[in-house]
Amino acid sequence: MTEQEIIDKTNKVFEESFEIEKDKLTPGAHIFTDLGLDSLDIVDLVVALQKSFGVKIRNEEKVRNIRTLQDIYDFISAIKNEDAGKSS
Amino acid sequence: MQKYDDIVVGSGISGLTMALILGMNGRKVLLLEKSPRIGGSVSRFYKKGVPFDTGFHFTGGLHKNGLLYDMLSVLGIRDLIQPVFLSEENANSFFFEPEGRLYEIPYGLEKLKKKFKDYFPGEVSALDRYFEKVQQVCANTPSMNLQALTALHSPMNEDFLSLDEVLNGLTGNPVLKALLSGFAMCYGVMPKEISFANHSRMCLGLYESVARVKDGGEAFIKAFEAKFKSSDIEIRCGKYIARLEDVYNKKVGRFILNTGEEVTAENCIFTIHPGEILKVLPEQHLSKAFVDRVTSFESSAGFFTVFAVLDEEYDEPDFNSNILSIFPHTDVNQLLDPANTGASALVIIKSIEEVKGKIYKTINAFEPSFIEHVENWKDSKTGRRSQSYGDYKEERVENITGRIYNAFPRYKDRIKVINSASVLTFRDYLNSPDGSAYGVKQKIGQYNLIGKLPLRNLYAAGQSSLLPGIMGAMMSSFLVGRYILEEEQYNKFLSKSLS
Repeated sequence: MTEQEIIDKTNKVFEESFEIEKDKLTPGAHIFTDLGLDSLDIVDLVVALQKSFGVKIRNEEKVRNIRTLQDIYDFISAIKNEDAGKSS
Repeated sequence: MQKYDDIVVGSGISGLTMALILGMNGRKVLLLEKSPRIGGSVSRFYKKGVPFDTGFHFTGGLHKNGLLYDMLSVLGIRDLIQPVFLSEENANSFFFEPEGRLYEIPYGLEKLKKKFKDYFPGEVSALDRYFEKVQQVCANTPSMNLQALTALHSPMNEDFLSLDEVLNGLTGNPVLKALLSGFAMCYGVMPKEISFANHSRMCLGLYESVARVKDGGEAFIKAFEAKFKSSDIEIRCGKYIARLEDVYNKKVGRFILNTGEEVTAENCIFTIHPGEILKVLPEQHLSKAFVDRVTSFESSAGFFTVFAVLDEEYDEPDFNSNILSIFPHTDVNQLLDPANTGASALVIIKSIEEVKGKIYKTINAFEPSFIEHVENWKDSKTGRRSQSYGDYKEERVENITGRIYNAFPRYKDRIKVINSASVLTFRDYLNSPDGSAYGVKQKIGQYNLIGKLPLRNLYAAGQSSLLPGIMGAMMSSFLVGRYILEEEQYNKFLSKSLS
């Protein structure tokens, strides 16, 4: 999966599952202060990302440290690489 | 407008626990129940004078300092609940029809391990590793410790491995695998779908002890009712929340009941099925992600149930309470698959009940069943179903009684079937969507609804929140109670009865 694909898919989750306008979705956007999510939305975000990317998200520590969209892109890309490493 | 500190919605064991925890801590509580009476799935019914339980049949955790024992102590009702421990040697037996072999499973962890090793001498190291893993998972689960309860513990590896995966890694013996995963009948999820961690959390209590309770679930209801009297808890049956109003800053201001009456409260805790919670929440305040998450929950297994009693004249001196599970093969996944069209598992629970000095020997039999089995009559209501539904029930009852006779030939023509229930019966009597016995299916990687909901003075608890069964349901209320009372008050509350 390319970086752009990860970005597109992640942004789509924010657009469709949280109804956030497309032009707000910049890599530096802070998910709480800029995008209006709160800490309790994180579980829903994790579930939506799991479904969208077909992955299991299990590292709570890393999830807790997520602040910006770029953090999510990096996080997903790390999981995807890990999965790819496992299956090869 | 009536004002309360907290509203608790649903009066199953979780709602009763929730209301009492809050009431005992000086809060003014309104407990709402949709049905004409409280108790939900712990309620019993009487037919021809014989008592039968609907959803609560046996439990672990009632031994001294067990989890349930401790919770009842904290709630001040332990002396009102009398455990009836099943026979230690064969509380739980499994009969495999193809090999015609009976496995008697005792309780008490050491005894249990030894029995398994006697049955499977070639699997000693697999068994050691299995039980070690189960204990490890439970020891590392904060929600299994009343003093250290937290909802969002960091998941462990075993939360992301299925029971099947772990068992396949330990042994190739299909009978051993079926015996270890046969306990899935106690939570209603296929071994390939349940995490090893949740399997362990459900099973450890049952490995330590298995008990019924004198007077069944009714004992719990009566105990709670008695204890409610010394707190400011108001119960209203036939009532539920129809609408939420005055939502401001993600908080609900007014709760409108089905009768049109309006009340206010600081918090409202829903102990009902997540799908039913979703129906009450105003859509405009929910993200699609939240709605998707809740609607993706599936139903756990339900049971087609036959309620029977042994003839009074038939005297069996060594009749005792125990559980026998009959498996037609060793594929437990198939036995809990809604699409299974082959033979079913059958769980037979024998028990001795006493009502007004009269003794009844009851035999309840359960075959896993799903809403898919009664698709044709899904839209009908109890008491007004078609002839074909009657035929369906009759056929299943006949088949099940035949299987009881096969297992216990001495009971031939000595059993009276008093009643039977399909998953639709359970759905309509217990307000349990799909008639499932254990709320939503606990699947690997699933995030249940527990604690705060998108409207921040609303909470979710109940058997779909943490773990199914009486213990899981009660634990979820302790967990949410701890949050509402805040830690200091909660710890004070615990320390009154637990040292």
